[in-house]
Amino acid sequence: MPGNIRSVSAVRVVLLCLVFCRRLTIIGAAPICTNGQAGCHVLSLANLFDRVIQHSARMHGISNDLHSEFEQYFLPSKNQVGRVSRNCHTSTILTPNGKENAQRMAREELTEVILKLLVAWGDPLWHFHQTLEMSDMVHELRKGVEKVAEKMQMLGIIVNSVSSQASPEALLPSDSAEWRLMKDYDLLYCFRRDSNKVQNYLKILKCRIVPEHGC
Amino acid sequence: MMRKGVEAVLLLSLLFFTSHAKATRFSPPGKPALTRCRSPEKETFTCWWEPGSDGGLPTTYALYYRKENSETVYECPDYHTAGENSCFFNKNDTSIWVNYNITVVATNALGSTFSDPVDIDVVYIVKPNPPEKVTVSVMEDKGWPFLRVSWEPPHKADTRSGWITLIYELRVKLEGEDEWEMHLAGQQKMFNIFSLRSGGTYHVQVRCKPDHGFWSEWSSTSYIKVPDYFHREKSVWILITVFSAFIFLILTWLLHMNSHSLKHCILPPVPGPKIKGFDKQLLKDGKSEDVFSALVVSDFPPTTSSNYEDLLVEYLEVYIPEEQELTLEESKDLHDSCLKSEGSTSDNDSGRGSCDSHTLLMDKGEAKEGERQTDQEESQTEAQRQQKDWDEEELTYTHEDMVSPDMSSGRVKTWPSVFSPLPQYTLSPLVQRSSLEMAKQHCLSDSMFPPSSTSSYLIQPGNSTKEALGPSHWEFSLSNKQPQLLHPKTQAHSDINISSIGHKQTPVSLQSPALRRTEYVEVQRVNEEDMVLLQPIVCGEGCPQMRQAEDYSKVRGVDSDNRLLLQREVAKEEVDMCPYEDQEADGATESCYTSSDINTNQKPPACSYTATPVQDNRTLPASGYVDTATMFTLPTY
Repeated sequence: MPGNIRSVSAVRVVLLCLVFCRRLTIIGAAPICTNGQAGCHVLSLANLFDRVIQHSARMHGISNDLHSEFEQYFLPSKNQVGRVSRNCHTSTILTPNGKENAQRMAREELTEVILKLLVAWGDPLWHFHQTLEMSDMVHELRKGVEKVAEKMQMLGIIVNSVSSQASPEALLPSDSAEWRLMKDYDLLYCFRRDSNKVQNYLKILKCRIVPEHGC
Repeated sequence: MMRKGVEAVLLLSLLFFTSHAKATRFSPPGKPALTRCRSPEKETFTCWWEPGSDGGLPTTYALYYRKENSETVYECPDYHTAGENSCFFNKNDTSIWVNYNITVVATNALGSTFSDPVDIDVVYIVKPNPPEKVTVSVMEDKGWPFLRVSWEPPHKADTRSGWITLIYELRVKLEGEDEWEMHLAGQQKMFNIFSLRSGGTYHVQVRCKPDHGFWSEWSSTSYIKVPDYFHREKSVWILITVFSAFIFLILTWLLHMNSHSLKHCILPPVPGPKIKGFDKQLLKDGKSEDVFSALVVSDFPPTTSSNYEDLLVEYLEVYIPEEQELTLEESKDLHDSCLKSEGSTSDNDSGRGSCDSHTLLMDKGEAKEGERQTDQEESQTEAQRQQKDWDEEELTYTHEDMVSPDMSSGRVKTWPSVFSPLPQYTLSPLVQRSSLEMAKQHCLSDSMFPPSSTSSYLIQPGNSTKEALGPSHWEFSLSNKQPQLLHPKTQAHSDINISSIGHKQTPVSLQSPALRRTEYVEVQRVNEEDMVLLQPIVCGEGCPQMRQAEDYSKVRGVDSDNRLLLQREVAKEEVDMCPYEDQEADGATESCYTSSDINTNQKPPACSYTATPVQDNRTLPASGYVDTATMFTLPTY
């Protein structure tokens, strides 16, 4: 049953492609220079933060649109009793769910949380719909955050290096890959939430580390 | 049977009563409904519900919630903070990015009713408070004012830590207007508004919204009055005023400078008497005798024939638009035009009447074609015509010391006096310009007079001592020296106040009029009998010359049709009188006609003195003579 629904939903989501493709083209984050690359000037940490925050904002915007349109077209009635049992595959990742919690968290921890989230979403999105290029965006964002972490470490803001060795397989239980069981709608719902988390955490980090601009 | 019936009745009545009781009295509460949940700062939130019917019994409401992935049911921690029918979740109870499942239960004695559950995530129900400390001030940018609006985020919303990101929007309107002008300000906390109306009062409001959430309410209105920046506009007005005043002054000065010529333009001067020795004051006093006697110059006419030149006016002004202008040299005493305005020595055209004497004598060189196109010239033509006739007449009466014209220069000098205009004798004061026209006609019609009429035609130049010329008289007074030829007749025209002066046997105190002849006749000399011997000047093509001794200098008279009849003294065979003027504006053909065939109104207009376009088929005599013998007739006018 889930499979049938899934396939049907997958086909229908293709129709939504146009909406997102338009939005995707807007996303053109400038590539962050790798070390030693010629013709590329090194960005400041504040600029890096601004870039990743913008990127995450766009990502969240797209996820929001995806979710609302999905809801509009495929779920006109909202009497989903089974909602309570919704379980995002990223719920195992401990994330601060309040301002105080987030502010109490160390920078490294917060950065790690962000990275974990971003890593967790790469594959499921790709499997959700290959043509949406959403997973690419997530990958890009992850790389960006890694760059930020590197920079912070370089500047001595972070003591311990944030490892991005977290792999999807490590995060998720290897057996079930629960995300395969998620309904499309739930997937979109979870993704919307997680992208919001990422954006928010990044903002908190930025205003904590480089509070000059726009905090 | 009966028992069953009773039971049935009882049952029915019981049912009836219970139902009745239910309808009027108590019932379990109606279903409440959660209307909304809002979080002002993403740290706390409040939910409100709408109670249903209470069923007539006191009803209590309770809110229960469950968090995501938990089966634990919690009850609302705070029913009071947020007011009636509300539930307030404080910071400890609020979890972000957690799905809440909320239900409201209404309970009364008869039962409880559950509302529909609502799922919320606090992140998506954020509605901040309005921005605070909205300040509006007027600032100046290069003299032009603008509004600077600044504000602060609501104090509850923590934007400093990056927890919430707010975007702002403001709206402005003029006092009294209905339409607001919206401006999106983004994340900035300051905004400039340009293009203000001076002196107006503006209303400004600001609101904010988190990136995903609801717009706040509008802040309280801020009022700002824009001061009148009239001074800026005033300076422009001052500049304009100064500039226009300057231009006005210049115009006034120019007007003043040219007032004279403007006056002539607008109000052409009335010709007045311009006779030397003529005392207007005497005239006004009514002592006409004294006036005229004052004009008598004792030593005129000059008896010596020594210097006729002096009496001659060299040049008269003849206005030929296309040809060379004839410049006349005026003697001081003489005036060319019939009616000459007092003041206009420079204006050739002014005051000229048809009886323009100088048209009689024309420059030989010039008026060959004789194109006169102006009205005046027309009149001059006419005047010439007649004057020519008069010339015949007059010159016989002129003094013997009238000198033959000086031919040396090829110009015909004008004869003194006879036909000098009467500029000073203005027509009646009423008659000004119009009199010119009238006089024209009069002149023309004056041309013919019956020979028997007595008239003194005196055109009095400045210093001629002519009598009998009243101010309002327009007269041609011929000298009556030789009355045998002619009875000069006083010209009388009742049309315009031209009254004839009585026959004045005036001494021939003719002064040399500034006559200007038409072309083809020139005065050769005046013989002893006071006859002017005329000689046609070189005429145009193919025109046979008149034989010399021939003179048409006698005016036989004026016939009833006011035609001047000349008498040919010498009986000649036919004289071809040809038009000297080649060109006639009407293009009439030139033709010569002999004097013998006259008696007809010939109309080659080519045979006119002047070649001005002759209107209405005036026919002019060929050579300017009217041969009474041959009964030339001049057209009547």
